[in-house]
Amino acid sequence: MTINVVQAAILGLCACLSSMPGLGGTTFGNYTLGRPLIGGLVCGLVLGNVPMGIMLGAAVQIVYIALVTPGGTVSADVRSISYIGIPLAMLYVSSVGLDPAAAEAQGFAVSMAATVGTVGTVLFYGTATINLIWQHMGLEWVKKGQLKKLYLVDMVLPWISHILCSFIPTFIMCYFGSNMVQLIKDYLPMDGLAMKTLFTVGSLLPAVGVAILLKQVVSKPVDFLTFFFGFTLCACMHLNLIGCAIVGGFFAIINYNIRCLALRPAAATAAIGAGDDDEEDI
Amino acid sequence: MKKLSKKALNKSFRNWFYGHLTCFSQEHMQTFGYMCAMLPIIQELYDTNEEQTEKTLTYSTFFNTEPQVGSIVVGITAGMEEARANGEPVDDETINGIRAGLMGPLAGIGDSLVVGTLLPILLGIALGLSGGGSPLGAIFYILVWNIGMFLIMRFMYFKGYELGGKAVEVLVGEKANAIRDSIIMLGTMVIGGVTASWINITTSFQMLGSDGSVIVDLQKTLNDVYPSILSAVFVLICWYLLSKKRLSPVVVMLILVAVAFVGVLLGFFNPGLSY
Repeated sequence: MTINVVQAAILGLCACLSSMPGLGGTTFGNYTLGRPLIGGLVCGLVLGNVPMGIMLGAAVQIVYIALVTPGGTVSADVRSISYIGIPLAMLYVSSVGLDPAAAEAQGFAVSMAATVGTVGTVLFYGTATINLIWQHMGLEWVKKGQLKKLYLVDMVLPWISHILCSFIPTFIMCYFGSNMVQLIKDYLPMDGLAMKTLFTVGSLLPAVGVAILLKQVVSKPVDFLTFFFGFTLCACMHLNLIGCAIVGGFFAIINYNIRCLALRPAAATAAIGAGDDDEEDI
Repeated sequence: MKKLSKKALNKSFRNWFYGHLTCFSQEHMQTFGYMCAMLPIIQELYDTNEEQTEKTLTYSTFFNTEPQVGSIVVGITAGMEEARANGEPVDDETINGIRAGLMGPLAGIGDSLVVGTLLPILLGIALGLSGGGSPLGAIFYILVWNIGMFLIMRFMYFKGYELGGKAVEVLVGEKANAIRDSIIMLGTMVIGGVTASWINITTSFQMLGSDGSVIVDLQKTLNDVYPSILSAVFVLICWYLLSKKRLSPVVVMLILVAVAFVGVLLGFFNPGLSY
């Protein structure tokens, strides 16, 4: 399997659309094209092996299932994970002749994606920094009353940032991917220290994503009990996430009703008073 | 009496749906997406360029929230802008006060409900449908997520527009706090579930006797104490570093790389793979 110019260009375009401040919009770009599972489908279609793309993409998706970017802080760059990491992993897996369903193949895909995803955060900050130029120009234009140019600033000029920070890096990495994969194979044996560390980092990284989410929702120490409640449901009682969400939803409703009762002390007291009257009547 | 046309509202919503983060920077975040979303509204309500410019500049102050749930704010300000064009006493401070006041609470709801709960669940289902390399899971996710999110965001936008300034009572009152806290409670539980289901940190540390038999298998011992405890411990450590030590996620990741390196050297971690 090799990647030709056209294939590398398509992957580069997907990288432009999918990155976190991406040109596909957040819903279709970041949260659809940027997810490794979807990236696996796209890479599989582009490179002509859909089952392999999906299998490797799914393995990577597990690591990044809780990947969020609250407050503009990123722990991993989705364009690099999905459109550099997965294609390179596919090249590697097919060149070594591994079965994509095997643990070795999926492990390699995960560590490859984790590596480029972590290094790729540079691309995220690069894009955001170049966008500053357009925004400063845009603010000047708005002050002068050239309002239509807002569209230029918001939807056209960022393409320049993305060509520099998404298209070109992805294109180069994918186009010369076979060479790089060969280098990795030659210099980094999988049972060596570097690869073992990479795999381990791959399994530790999702903890950062979840911790970022946790930072958003935990406001007092007792909230950790809620967190461990959900954790226990899945870890000890082996519920799946839908089951966990239903139990959580039930408790959320109870919590809401209790809070609403507390909001109406006067009405609640009156109701109790009325109840007492009824008893006296009997 | 000025009334916004359906066309202008739809255009405004589309601008927000697509463009809220296309031009992102750490300094302005969603500000330019917001101005783009307000432009069709302002252009329809005001005739002169001076007025349009002045009103557009109202929205040049910093804005950032969870964009899916946040589309309600854009709807609210569209409603308020309409009220202002009709001579109601709405000034820049009122509008920006509402925007600033809603940013935080909505980000809390959005992060716990959309990205913390909905996304992992949908992706979990999609992964379940992807067995053997089937594209079914990916297709399921693309359809359900995109169509669902478009409809939800559209509903939020138009609900916000309908309520206008009144939405604030709905969104920040005591009752709203109760709803928000309950939603966040649900989100926190699912995040706990995500940790248990999708994070898999295990140790390979073993103490061997002189005859090579295993005396202590640390992972087995830990599982007897509390299943998947290492995953929870690592999440808590990361949370501590992020929120108490105020380190950036990148620094925390570098720390994890160091931890992994030392752990592998000591034989604490061993993914056990070979070519």
